Amino acid sequence: MNVFRFIWQNHGQVLELTLEHLRLVGFSTLFAMLIGIPLGIVIAHRPRFNKPVLASANIIQTIPSLALFGFLLPVPWLGERADRLAILALTLYALLPIIRNTYTGIRGVDAAVMEAGRGMGLTESQLLFQVELPLSVSVILSGVRVAVVISVGLATIAAAIGAGGLGEFIFRGLAMVDDRVILAGAIPAALLALLADFGVGWLERRLQPR
Amino acid sequence: MRIPQSSLCISVLVAAALLVPSCSPSHSDRVVVGSKNFTESFLLGEIVAQMIEAHTNLKVDRRFYLAGTYICQQAILAGRIDIYPEYTGTALTAILKQKASAQKQEVYQRVKSEYERRFALTLGPPFGFNDTFAMEIRGEDARRLNIKTLSQATAFAPQWRAGFGYEFMERPDGYRGLAATYGLHFAGQPRIMDLGLLARTLKDHQIDLAGGNTTDGLIPALGLFVLQDDRHYFPPYEAVPVIRQQTLQQHPEVAQVLAGLAEKISDEEMQSLNYAVDGQHRDAKEVVQEFLRRKGLMR
Amino acid sequence: MHPAAATPVIEFRDISYRVAETQVLSGFNLQVQSGETVVLLGRSGSGKTTSLKLVNRLLSPTSGEIRVKGVPNTEAELIRLRRSIGYVIQDVGLFPHFTVERNIGLVPKIGGWPQDRIRVRVQELLQMVGLAQEIALRYPHQLSGGQRQRVGVARALAADPEILLMDEPFGALDPLTRDELQREFLLLQQRLHKTVVFVTHDLREALRLGSRIALMEAGRLVTVLAPKDFLRSSDALASAYVRAFGEGLESAANRGTS
Repeated sequence: MNVFRFIWQNHGQVLELTLEHLRLVGFSTLFAMLIGIPLGIVIAHRPRFNKPVLASANIIQTIPSLALFGFLLPVPWLGERADRLAILALTLYALLPIIRNTYTGIRGVDAAVMEAGRGMGLTESQLLFQVELPLSVSVILSGVRVAVVISVGLATIAAAIGAGGLGEFIFRGLAMVDDRVILAGAIPAALLALLADFGVGWLERRLQPR
Repeated sequence: MRIPQSSLCISVLVAAALLVPSCSPSHSDRVVVGSKNFTESFLLGEIVAQMIEAHTNLKVDRRFYLAGTYICQQAILAGRIDIYPEYTGTALTAILKQKASAQKQEVYQRVKSEYERRFALTLGPPFGFNDTFAMEIRGEDARRLNIKTLSQATAFAPQWRAGFGYEFMERPDGYRGLAATYGLHFAGQPRIMDLGLLARTLKDHQIDLAGGNTTDGLIPALGLFVLQDDRHYFPPYEAVPVIRQQTLQQHPEVAQVLAGLAEKISDEEMQSLNYAVDGQHRDAKEVVQEFLRRKGLMR
Repeated sequence: MHPAAATPVIEFRDISYRVAETQVLSGFNLQVQSGETVVLLGRSGSGKTTSLKLVNRLLSPTSGEIRVKGVPNTEAELIRLRRSIGYVIQDVGLFPHFTVERNIGLVPKIGGWPQDRIRVRVQELLQMVGLAQEIALRYPHQLSGGQRQRVGVARALAADPEILLMDEPFGALDPLTRDELQREFLLLQQRLHKTVVFVTHDLREALRLGSRIALMEAGRLVTVLAPKDFLRSSDALASAYVRAFGEGLESAANRGTS
């Protein structure tokens, strides 16, 4: 097929754009985990805050991504570098699945286990790190998986504001009216999403407690 | 903890392997040339690329069709591209966000020094043409009414319908300022249309004045006349190569290549290059090769 | 009777506990002496589980004070208090991601015991609760209900606490297993002489296991009697219980011979 020959002939650039794409997805997922997991733990322990936090994350999700990129452009420091901006926006979009799954995972821990643990004299942090988190890891990872797959897709739009990545091929192909170029961006992006889904899914299953 | 240590270790290693190399792109033996997504821009990009390939040992990667000034700026700041063709006026107003002046030299110097100071970028010497806004009228009208300048055209404007591109209507240094400077009043609201259609619409008498660009290939092809901007409203848009200072440090031979292109392309030559691709639908690479050989810039 | 001068191991002083509109406990006074098994008997809503949870401060009283070994439990350091009390609940609450060995060994481990001492202790405890040594490497989901609760008891005894709090520990088990575990509890108590507060709604169990039975109703302590006295009691509620539980209670009350 024409496309695959094109990809092979330009494999250097395809690889470069793929790495750029991974950088956008990687950093944003990392930041979303660093913010979202602790936040999910907090609202699981203090249900009073769960509505405002989950509602905020939900609202962010409903903002169309291109619009969010546009909003953030005039912001000083952020707007100066498109990749910073894109990473921030992608982080925001990754928050909801991660916060929500962390919350669900931790609330899902058997109440009897928590009561026994507390009654035994485990400190709150021992309970968190030795009981709650290990028992929730699979659910939390499933949230991460959703976040990564969403990010791979959104990162293609980030090329529209100059953040690079596989979306650049797509936009270039549109401007050149050249299908091969479009697909040279779309196919690797789709493959990335599938790979991430599969890879994190594998990890989820491996880490599932009995 | 019962969580398999091995799975965690593998995951962390994979994540690190993916993130770390993508952190700092560095092009050791190659140069990446970018361009915007219109014909003139990638013709210039192709010219620079072929010159580097012909006169140095460097490999050139082409990253053309970047959709606009902002995206090119982002790409060069992030090191994803090393060189791309820009216009001094655009750099001044759109990127540096300063007010334009009419003086070609002054604009060039200001852009160069600001870019060096703020962005670790610099400008090569200008390619030799000025792609600024061209207020075009039909050649026969110019001869019949015996007008050469925009000031002279003001008298006839109320009888004319005008057509402009979307960006020109929106930009502060576009239609609004032009109309104010010359006191232009056209018959009805100017029509907004795709740049590619303007020249033909003018030729077909559907509009009487079109806001195009000075290097538009259709100007000589359709016998159009460009009114002189005698009040110097439009700032100069000299085409220049923007290049990363780091690239020049790593590959000083590139500076020589760019010096070899200084002032080598006139307004008319750019017009015919544009026309060859847009009008005659010839392959850009061939057109550039032919041009460079003809000018003796390449063997 | 124990010498009056000995300090009770656990003492409830004028305890009240109120939640929203409900008075769960009021005017609750009780002393538990060393080596006793005091059974809190009552129906659901009588406040018995709440009383238990007040001892290890899983709940805090609205008014009144609880003393553990003479010291108000609010003054003792919370974590140290809880680690010095064994806690067994009906649903057991074993950590599903730990082996039996890690479950039992958790409190010693966080108490800083060296690994080999823990392993020895686990072996000892498994034997004490009547489980085969190979159970140590199994996971909770691989065990039967009875085995799980035995592990629960072993876990509670791991750091050799003086006090055991047990909240209907055998309630979810089938009658045969329940009977076995009750018998083993008695044997264990003969050996270890722990101070136990045991919650149940089952009179038979109370008569069999308790050295004294504290009858509770609607948040109040109705009466506290030894098993034999309970059977002969003229108290209205106590007699109602005896009637409700029908025949064969005598043998339960004579637990030393069963």
